[in-house]
Amino acid sequence: MPMSDTKGISDYPKPDPASDDETVAELRSLLLGQAELQLAEVHERLFDPHRQLKEISNVLPDAIAVRSRQDDELTTALSPTVSAALERSVRKNPQPIVDAIFPIMGPAIRKAIATALGGMVQSFNQTLNYSMTTRGLRWRWEALKTGRPFAEVVLLHTLLYRVEQIFLIHKETGLLLRHVAAPNVAVQDTDMVSGMLTAIQDFVRDSFQTSRGDQLETLQVGDLTVWIEQGPEAILAAVIRGNAPQELRPILQDILERIHLQFGTSLTEFTGDAAAFVATEPLLEEGLQSSYDTAQHVRKSSGKINPFTVTAAIVLLVFLVWGFFWLRDRQRWNSYIEKLRNEPGFVITDSGKQGGKYFVSGLRDPLSRDPTALLQGTGVDANSVVANWQSFQALSPQFVLARAQKNLEPPAGVKLTFNEGTLEAEGFASHNWILEVRRTARLLPGIYRLRDDKLFDLERIEDPLLLFDLDQVTLQSGQEDKLNRLVDDLNHLRQLAGVRPVRLEITGHTDGSGTEMRNDKLSQGRADTVAATLRPRLTSWSNLTIISLGTKEKLRMEMNDVDRATNRSVKMKVIVDDNH
Amino acid sequence: MIQKKVCMLGTFAVGKTSLVRRFVESIYSDKYHTTVGVKIDKKVVQLANSELTLILWDIEGSQTENDLRKSYLRGAAGYLLVIDGTRQDTLYQALALHNRVIDTIGAVPFLLLMNKADLASEWSISERETTALHDKGWEVMKTSAKTGLGVEDAFRTLAQKLAEA
Repeated sequence: MPMSDTKGISDYPKPDPASDDETVAELRSLLLGQAELQLAEVHERLFDPHRQLKEISNVLPDAIAVRSRQDDELTTALSPTVSAALERSVRKNPQPIVDAIFPIMGPAIRKAIATALGGMVQSFNQTLNYSMTTRGLRWRWEALKTGRPFAEVVLLHTLLYRVEQIFLIHKETGLLLRHVAAPNVAVQDTDMVSGMLTAIQDFVRDSFQTSRGDQLETLQVGDLTVWIEQGPEAILAAVIRGNAPQELRPILQDILERIHLQFGTSLTEFTGDAAAFVATEPLLEEGLQSSYDTAQHVRKSSGKINPFTVTAAIVLLVFLVWGFFWLRDRQRWNSYIEKLRNEPGFVITDSGKQGGKYFVSGLRDPLSRDPTALLQGTGVDANSVVANWQSFQALSPQFVLARAQKNLEPPAGVKLTFNEGTLEAEGFASHNWILEVRRTARLLPGIYRLRDDKLFDLERIEDPLLLFDLDQVTLQSGQEDKLNRLVDDLNHLRQLAGVRPVRLEITGHTDGSGTEMRNDKLSQGRADTVAATLRPRLTSWSNLTIISLGTKEKLRMEMNDVDRATNRSVKMKVIVDDNH
Repeated sequence: MIQKKVCMLGTFAVGKTSLVRRFVESIYSDKYHTTVGVKIDKKVVQLANSELTLILWDIEGSQTENDLRKSYLRGAAGYLLVIDGTRQDTLYQALALHNRVIDTIGAVPFLLLMNKADLASEWSISERETTALHDKGWEVMKTSAKTGLGVEDAFRTLAQKLAEA
């Protein structure tokens, strides 16, 4: 407003203040009119709390919806309040919330647990089913004995159960709401049983100071079990004969939950009239029915071949086959080692299996049998054996004798025996061999003495000469004793030789005088003379072979008459057939 | 068929069990009292135009109200207070039990049964006391388990009250 106007108004005479106010008000209403009313309403809207409440309540749901679509600030803001409210409500009286969430809580928890433990439970079940429990083994034995399938035996023992009765009981009063029974089940007064079941639960809870909310869940007498499922308003008691499987529990729980869901109001308002609960009968009968379904299911599952069983069977088979061969090879190897241990000339210091091959090491007398040859007949593959032998000289009698045989090379006609350090030679042998034995026998390990008194020295036959006079084929006189001794020795030799063919070679000799033609005749004649003389006296020689020969060979150089006389003689030689 | 849970209360040896033994259906032996502390019996009462099944919780007689198992009272639609007419103390104990019941489950229909009516000459409860109870609004009935006097009547009276409640 311009300054001059203000000045102008103040120049008017001062009016009465009261009438002035009225005038202003009138003027205002004239000037502003409708707008003033609206202003008053706005004022009221802004500052009247009741009005405000109403206004906000009109837009609140929409506002919440709009804001929720926009972002989740509202949720964030409300969260603490809602949590606190819920907490306070639960603390004040948990029952309404318990009742409200009861129908969904069971399934939710079961689902969560089932998901989390599913894998574990499955493997655990399998382990239980197939592990070698004594019970399982006993049943297997029973199945074997009776010729029934194992599954059937298991069924007989574990799965023959029946839900005989189901009681639906009002929790508060213990009054029976509904009762169902399987066919042919003897039923006591169900009203009283229902009351007593409730009383027993109270009794147990009161008597044993169970924690709050804990309830009696199972009653068991012999093969009769009563399973009690608790709900907020009602109790389900199932009377089961036999061995009830755990799968039945959730089925009963589910029935009770559905009853709570469908008959919630009837349960809360129950005052003794159970008529409303006739309709629960089909639900309750599911509990009776499910027992057979479950039995069927378990029968199927224990009857079917599952991969675990197959795998286990294969593993077992492989193990058995491998075990059989392993045992057999081991048995064979052990018997071979045992054979070696018992074999003379072997000392086993170590044996075993390493890197897929058998090994054996120890001492071996070179005179022992070939260890590879010993493998024959044992079933052990020669290629799978690594042997490491060190040579040694065994001092067992057998080996001492064998070594003597090998080193002394006794001629045919000599038999060697060994006993307690003494080597004995029997039979007949050349003088040279006898000398050799006497010299070397005691050098051999294990031999301390030599006995040769039963050894016939062939020198006794081969050494003596039968003499002849000059140009004669008849024996020189005075040789009777020599001849007798010779005959005795020959008969003795014959005895010693036994069946062995022995030939007697008789060779005639001459001195250097006379013609060659004459000497041939003489030597042959002299041999023939001796042969003819001996033959009748050697009757024991059943197959006497006498070879008489004349020879130009001189026995010794003729330096004088003694040499010439010696050369006019007959000499004998014993020939033993080695090949025999 | 309407069913009601009814408790039988009273001090030791007032004759509760005798009251029910001859007049109700029972499948349980009296041994239950000493083991579980309660025995369940059943009484079907014929009313004018209906039938009511009373499930009787015959609770073990206790010396004092403190021995009473409160959980057995839960859900009871009514109860019978039994006293021994020849023992005055049983009346006082019944009064205490009554208070206990009201504390636990609230006010529900009940009857006071003065048992052993056959021994009326030995009664030690004065007329004045019974009148006082009447004045309080209590219904008092005399029964005798021995002769059967008033027993059926008592059950019917309670059933009637329950049916009307």
